[in-house]
Amino acid sequence: MIVTLMKTEAEEALARQFAAVASSLPGTGVAAARRAAAMDRFRETGLPHRRIEEFKYSDVRSALKTAFAPADVQAPIVDANAIEAALGPVASLDADRLVFVDGAFVQSLSSSEIAGVTFRRFATGQPTDDAAFSAIAGANPLLALNEAFASDGAVISVDGARKLAGRLLVILYLHTAREPRRVTTRNLIEVAANARIDLVEVHARIGTAAVQTSTATRLVAGDGAEVAHIKIDREISAATHLSLWDLELGAATVYRGFQLTAGAGFVRNDIVARLPGADAKFDVSGLMLGRGDDHVDTTLVVDHIATGCESRELFKAVLDDRARAVFQGKVIVAPEAQKTDGKQMSQALLLADDVEFYSKPELEIYADDVACGHGATAAELDESMLFYLRSRGIGLAEARSLLIESFALETLEKIENDDIRAVARSVVITWLGADL
Amino acid sequence: MLEIKDLTVRIAEDGKEILKGVTLSVPDGEVHAIMGPNGSGKSTLAYVIAGRDGYEVTGGDILWNGTSILEMEPDERAAAGVFLAFQYPIEIPGVATMTFLRTALNSLKKKRGQAELTTPDFLRLIRAKAAELGVTDEMLKRPLNVGFSGGEKKRMEVLQMTMLDPSLCVLDETDSGLDIDAIRIVADGANRLRGPGRSMLVITHYQRLLDFIVPDKVHVLAHGRIQKTGGKELALELEKSGYAGFAGKAA
Repeated sequence: MIVTLMKTEAEEALARQFAAVASSLPGTGVAAARRAAAMDRFRETGLPHRRIEEFKYSDVRSALKTAFAPADVQAPIVDANAIEAALGPVASLDADRLVFVDGAFVQSLSSSEIAGVTFRRFATGQPTDDAAFSAIAGANPLLALNEAFASDGAVISVDGARKLAGRLLVILYLHTAREPRRVTTRNLIEVAANARIDLVEVHARIGTAAVQTSTATRLVAGDGAEVAHIKIDREISAATHLSLWDLELGAATVYRGFQLTAGAGFVRNDIVARLPGADAKFDVSGLMLGRGDDHVDTTLVVDHIATGCESRELFKAVLDDRARAVFQGKVIVAPEAQKTDGKQMSQALLLADDVEFYSKPELEIYADDVACGHGATAAELDESMLFYLRSRGIGLAEARSLLIESFALETLEKIENDDIRAVARSVVITWLGADL
Repeated sequence: MLEIKDLTVRIAEDGKEILKGVTLSVPDGEVHAIMGPNGSGKSTLAYVIAGRDGYEVTGGDILWNGTSILEMEPDERAAAGVFLAFQYPIEIPGVATMTFLRTALNSLKKKRGQAELTTPDFLRLIRAKAAELGVTDEMLKRPLNVGFSGGEKKRMEVLQMTMLDPSLCVLDETDSGLDIDAIRIVADGANRLRGPGRSMLVITHYQRLLDFIVPDKVHVLAHGRIQKTGGKELALELEKSGYAGFAGKAA
């Protein structure tokens, strides 16, 4: 065991908490040893800080000054009506549900049987599947921390025998705590070859206390699978939200990912995608909404390994007050990945003088027959557009919201499912309407 | 009635004086043309009437129906009946043309104390007016002015002017960039709006638009002042002699 001096109060607290709760976390034997090893890896690095290149603009060490106590493994009883209210527009989705409350699965709030989907709790059995997280994701200290503390999550297999159209599964993570708590979940999703699923991951809060969320999802799609994967984060000024998606997509898969972050304090969304099969179509996009002192970071690595794949990324940020957004998008094209077609765009709308937007596109291209491009913009509302609208009788406030909405809602065109898009739209409109 | 009285205007940013004492009146129901060379201040006058930022009025006044509009916001001026057809209509990605038209119309109705239109009534109105101007359903579904040709943009301006029922129409170089067929469509649209309750100020560099929208009076604007006012025949004179004759009259 490597012992490194923990440098901050939060890091020391995490080590103490691990010693205290490790034995009550799910899994014994191999799983417990893996947790201990993960905690050791975390100790080596501690919380990532700005001197680590990938975290230059998002210093997790200073954002996480204290480590809240882990949430109780036994979930509290939650009233179903309270959940619907907390979900807001998301409640209207007609879908199968898996519900996790304060990091523990709640059967009574979840669908008992989901056609074509096999589900088990991460907390039951031996969660040895974790070895599957990719090397890129594995280098992230936040993944090690997640592995050490993960209390539960969804382990899902999507059946490829039948290609069910319109299958929609929502995984809800609800926070109810009245005291500040830390919640750690971990998901493994396997989509069989040629299977199809629309998956929506929702993070919402019922309780009044701040929450430190850590969530890691490993998604593996077999050849020819079609996956829509949407994350909606409406924790609303939770203390921190640390998310990691580790995606591996087979040949000729069609993957459409989307992350909507509607103001959740300090947010770090890591996305790592590997495309080891030929002719995959990969699109991951998102919208980051921030006001007050919100800080929203999306850091993306797309690894093109095989020929003929397409990757598309569109990330936008709407920033008011003193909010900050970060977009880091690295696209790697291996020597074998000829005919790669990659396009990336990041755009920020700056609504106040003190907002900040950091955009860092990176292309690492080792193949010679590829078409890759990227762009970034940051701008205030366009005065000539505002004048044009106002000259037609539209008041200043309404003209502003029309332009802000149109900027933000463009990203939602990436969501193909009409019902999910309508829900996302409603989340965006509600957020925008809160004080514009 | 529009009354512009000894109006002096400079660019806020660099202090450059553009209008140096413009005086003119457009009585109700009349169409007046303002002609002038490039850089004479024609577009500045149009923007100042509509209330665009970036100009500083240093003297004089603009009265619309006896009330000064200089302190009014652009949308308040629109509610009072002012409409500017832009020389270069602005493209607004992400805002569907139909949504924009409906929002604008209902904002104006509200400000004017009129009932908002129901969806079926709105659709009936827009379909009828769009057809007159050759504006297709497909154009109405697109984001406002995005990807429109020059002619489509100007037809959209006139469609807006028709829908929003202004009492003072300012047309800024509506003919620029249009071929003769497009000018005819746009001019027909403007002519349909001529009537006792509506005044028009048609700003143009060339005489040819005035073959289609025949003005009651023509004013020549050069070097920031109205240099000459006359009947429609003044436009024809200018077509022959050009603006060179006004070069020496700079202040």
